[in-house]
Amino acid sequence: MTRTVRRLLVLLLLATISTGQSAAPGATARASREETPSAMRASLVELEVARTLYDYQTPWTRSSGNVRKSALVIGSDEILATADGLSNATVLRAQRDGRGKWYDATVLWVDYHANVALVQVADPAFWKGLKPVELMAKVSPGEEFRIERWKSGNMESRKAEFSQVVVKQSKLSTYDFAQIELTTEMTGGGWGEPLLVGNKLAGLLSSHTRNTCTVTPAPFIRFLLESRRKSRFTGIGFFDFTWQPAENPSIHRRLEFPGDPKGVLVIEGAKLNGQTNVIQKHDLILQVDGFDIDTQGNYLDPMYGRLLLENLSSRQHFAGDEVPIKVWRGAKLQEVKYKLPKVDFGTKLIPEHIFDLEPEYFILGGLVFQPLTGPFLRRWQDYWNESTPPFRLNYYKNDSPTAERKGLVVLSSVLPDPYNLGYQDQHIPLVVQKVNSRTISTLQELVEAFEHPQQGYHVIQFMKSDAIRKLVVDASSSQAATSRVLKRYGIESDRFTAEKKTAAR
Amino acid sequence: MPDHFLRVRSTIILPLMWSAIAALGGNPAPEKSVIQIYNFSQAVAWDAPWRFHGVGRSSGTGFLIKGKRIMTNAHVVSWARQITVRRYQDPRPYNAKVQFIGHDCDLAVLEVEDEAFYEGLEPLEVGELPKVRSTVVTYGYPAGGEQISYTRGVVSRVELQNYVHIGNMSFLGVQTDAAINPGNSGGPVIQEGLVVGVAFQGVPGLENTGFFIPPPVINHFLKDIGDGSYQGFPRAGVKVVPLQNPAYRKSLGLPVNGGGARIDLVMPNSSAKEILQEDDVILSVAGYEVGSDASIVYDGNRLNLTAAIQHAQHGETVEMKIWRGGAEKTVQVPMRCTDEERMLSNQYDVLPRYFVYGGLVFTPLSIDYLRTLGRNWADSAGSEMFYELYYRRNEKPEVNRPEPIVLAGVLAHPVNANLKNQAHSLVGKINGKTITRLEDVVEALSQPGPKEHLIEFLQSDGVECISKQEADQANAKILKTYGISKDRRL
Repeated sequence: MTRTVRRLLVLLLLATISTGQSAAPGATARASREETPSAMRASLVELEVARTLYDYQTPWTRSSGNVRKSALVIGSDEILATADGLSNATVLRAQRDGRGKWYDATVLWVDYHANVALVQVADPAFWKGLKPVELMAKVSPGEEFRIERWKSGNMESRKAEFSQVVVKQSKLSTYDFAQIELTTEMTGGGWGEPLLVGNKLAGLLSSHTRNTCTVTPAPFIRFLLESRRKSRFTGIGFFDFTWQPAENPSIHRRLEFPGDPKGVLVIEGAKLNGQTNVIQKHDLILQVDGFDIDTQGNYLDPMYGRLLLENLSSRQHFAGDEVPIKVWRGAKLQEVKYKLPKVDFGTKLIPEHIFDLEPEYFILGGLVFQPLTGPFLRRWQDYWNESTPPFRLNYYKNDSPTAERKGLVVLSSVLPDPYNLGYQDQHIPLVVQKVNSRTISTLQELVEAFEHPQQGYHVIQFMKSDAIRKLVVDASSSQAATSRVLKRYGIESDRFTAEKKTAAR
Repeated sequence: MPDHFLRVRSTIILPLMWSAIAALGGNPAPEKSVIQIYNFSQAVAWDAPWRFHGVGRSSGTGFLIKGKRIMTNAHVVSWARQITVRRYQDPRPYNAKVQFIGHDCDLAVLEVEDEAFYEGLEPLEVGELPKVRSTVVTYGYPAGGEQISYTRGVVSRVELQNYVHIGNMSFLGVQTDAAINPGNSGGPVIQEGLVVGVAFQGVPGLENTGFFIPPPVINHFLKDIGDGSYQGFPRAGVKVVPLQNPAYRKSLGLPVNGGGARIDLVMPNSSAKEILQEDDVILSVAGYEVGSDASIVYDGNRLNLTAAIQHAQHGETVEMKIWRGGAEKTVQVPMRCTDEERMLSNQYDVLPRYFVYGGLVFTPLSIDYLRTLGRNWADSAGSEMFYELYYRRNEKPEVNRPEPIVLAGVLAHPVNANLKNQAHSLVGKINGKTITRLEDVVEALSQPGPKEHLIEFLQSDGVECISKQEADQANAKILKTYGISKDRRL
C-alpha cells in the first residue's frame, strides 16, 4: 500500500470517528456501517452468558448475572472468544448480525490462564453466510488498527493507536506474557472485541481502562489453537524462579563473570518439577531458549523488540517443554534444560482464582469454614470496605504448598447460636491449623477430622497470629446445633465440599 | 484516635474561672502549685539517625509534688533541649530538667535547680481513684490564653485505655467530660484538693471527652523511681482470652456459669513461661476474682485483669489462682519489664543506632523508622517488614531476629551509584552472615573476604554488591559530604 493511499484511508477513518463523537452511538454506528461496510459483519458475533454468581461471604447463596461479549468466527464451526465471563455459565447463546435470533451455544474448549475459548453452535442456520477470519501470524506496531463490535444492533468501529507491547500478567491468571496496549476512544470494551488490521484479526481485547485497552495478540492465540488441533497443547508454562536485574557490575565481579555484564541474577531458585538444581539461587541467567538476556532481563523478540524474558515461557512453548537456559554458576558457564511447569492456581498456597466451581464451605454449629482463596479474600475486602485484605491472611500468598500443607482452611464467620457462645466476637477469619489434633489443609480433611472428636469435644486450633489460638465445642450436640443454625439462617445444606462437588459435576 | 495535648503559644487571654476553685475542699488554692511548662525540643530523624529535626516549641502543664518535683506528662518534655517553667502568676522563667521519665505511662518528674522557685509553693497530694459520676476540676494552661484555666466535669468511666504516647500499651485511664485541651497535658485533675489524675489525652472529633492518668498509675510511677531509676510497667507475657463457651468450660472441668479466663498463649520469651501454661484458667489475680470475660472488679469498676497485673513493679511477683488439670493451684508469677517490643512502641529521648558504610545507611527496624516512609507507611514498608515488625517474634521465635536491620537509605556516591534502589529493605545476610543486630553488619563488612561485599535482602528484595576496596576508600568522603560526624552509633 502506498503512503498516499494509506493517508487517504486514515483520513477516511478519522472522519468516521469524528462523526461518531458528535452523534448518538446508534447513529454513529449506522453511518459507519453505511459508509464503510465492514467485512466483519459476516464474522463478528455476540455471545450472551447467563452465569451463576457466588458470594464468598455467604458461600451457600447464589445469584445470577449476565455478560454480553464479542466473539469472532474463525472456522467453519468455531467461534473464538476470550474466556473471561464464561465461567459458571448456565446459559450460553450466540447471535449473528448484531440482532435477531439467539442460538444455543456450548463451550468447545476454554483455557482461563490463556484467556482464550472456542465456542460452538449446533444449529446450521447460524452459520449460513458467516465467514471465518484469519488470525495474523505477525503483528507489527506500525499497522493501522481498529476495534469493532456490535452495539445496539449496529456495527461500531473505532480506530486504535498502538502504544506498546508489554509483558504483563494475564487477566485471569498469574503468568506473564506479551500483550499489546493501545489507546482508543471506544468505551466499555475489554470483552473480547477483535482488534483488526484490514480483515485480519490482530488480537482480542482482554481489558479496557479509560482509553487504554490491552489485547491478547493473535499470533499467540494462533499458536495456541494450532497446537491444540495437533494435540500438542499441554497447558501454559511458566518460569517458577525469580530474578532481579543485574545492572550493578559489582554483582558480576562477585560472581567472577568475565567481560561486559550481561544476564540477570536468580534470587529464588526453581522449586517445581523437582528442578531445585536446575535453576539455583545466585545463578546468572545469560540465555533463554537461544535468546541472550540483558542485565535488565530483556531479550530481543523477533516480532515485538525488547521484552522481558518471562515471555519466553509461552512464546513458543507449553508446559512440560524443556527450555534450554545458559547460566553462570560457580564461575563457569553451564547449559541446563528447564522443564516448564504448568500454570496452575494450585501452585500457590492461596489459589488466586477459581473457575467453574462452587465455593466450598462447611458449617458446624454455626462455625463456618471455607478454603482460603483469592475470591474469598477479595470478597472479604469488599465486604469490610478495606483497601487490602487482612495482612496476616494476605501474607500467606507468599507461601507455596508443601507436602504437609496443600492449602489453608479458615473459620470464615460465626452464625450466632447458643452452641458457639463465646466465639461470636472473634477476630475472624482465623486460619485453622488442627481439628481434633489432625492437621488441616483442605476442607475435606476438616470434615473428616470432625468425625473424630476428642473425649466428646471438638478441639479447633488456629495458626499463630495475633488472634485466638483455640476453640472447643461440644461434639454430641453439634449435629442438632447445625440443624438449628441451618433452619434459622435459611441455609439449605451444611456443606459443599470437594467430594460433593465431584458428584455434582 | 486519641491525641496528645501539647499546644503552641497563644496571645489570646481568657478570663479565669474562679467559680471552679471556690467549690474545692482540701488544698484551698491548688492553682498556686500548677506550673506552666515550655519545652524546646528536637527529635531525631529516624531515617537519617545522625540528624535532628528543627527545634520545636510547645507548652504544657505540670504541678508540684512532694520532694520539690514537678510532675507532668512525658510527652510534654520529650526530646527536650531546654525546659523552662513558670509559677502561677509569676512572669519569671526557671530552667528545669527531667529527673525521671516514663514514656510507657506518659509521666515525668522535673526538678528546678533554683531554690527560689519553690518559695511559697505547697506540693499537691495524690488522692484515690475517683468514683464514676463524681466531679473533678482540671487545672492547666490550655490553648486560647496565657493564664491558668479551670474546667469542671464528671468522671464518665474508668477502664484500660491505650496510651498514645507509647502507642502499644494500655493502662488504667479515666474519661471525663471536663474540657481537656491542648496545653492541659500534664496538669492536675483535682477532687477535694487532692490530685486524682494527670490530664493527658483526648479523642479528636469527640466532644466533651478527655482522659486523665489516675492515681494507681501515678503511684506506680512514683514508687518505681523511688530507688533512683525507672524500670516501667511489667508484663505477664501471656494472652488471656474470655472463657464463656459452655463446652470449653465443661471440657476443662469448670462450671458453665462460673468465672475464670483462659490463657490462650504464653509468649515465647515470657517471664511466666515456666509457671503458666496454655489452657490454664486464671481464677484470680492479686486477690481480684477473674470473670469469664477476663475482667476483674477494680474499685467498683469492671476492668480487664491487666489492671491488677500492672500494680506490680519490675522484679515482683503476682499471685494467681489458676485452674489446671481439674484442680486449683496458686502460683507466683514473676513480673518483668523488657524492651523486646521496643521497636513496636514510639521511642523518645533515645538516639537510634546506625552504621554508615559506602553510603549505605543501616539502622534497626522500628515503627518510628517506618513512619518516615509517609502516611501510608504500612503499604510502603512491604509485607516482609510488616511481618518482621509485628508477627515473627511470636510466630517463628526460632528464627526471630532480636534487632532486625534495614537499609534505611543510600547516600549517593559513585561507589554505590550502580545499586538498584534497595532502600527501605530488610537485610538478611551480608557476605553470608545472618544479620540479627547492628553489630552483625559492622562485623560482616569489616571482615576480610571477597573483593565485593554481597548484601542479601529478605525474600524478594534481592541482593546487591558493593566493592569493598572502593567503599573503604569512599567512607570518609561520604561522611564529610553528608555532614555525618561518625560512621556509627552502636
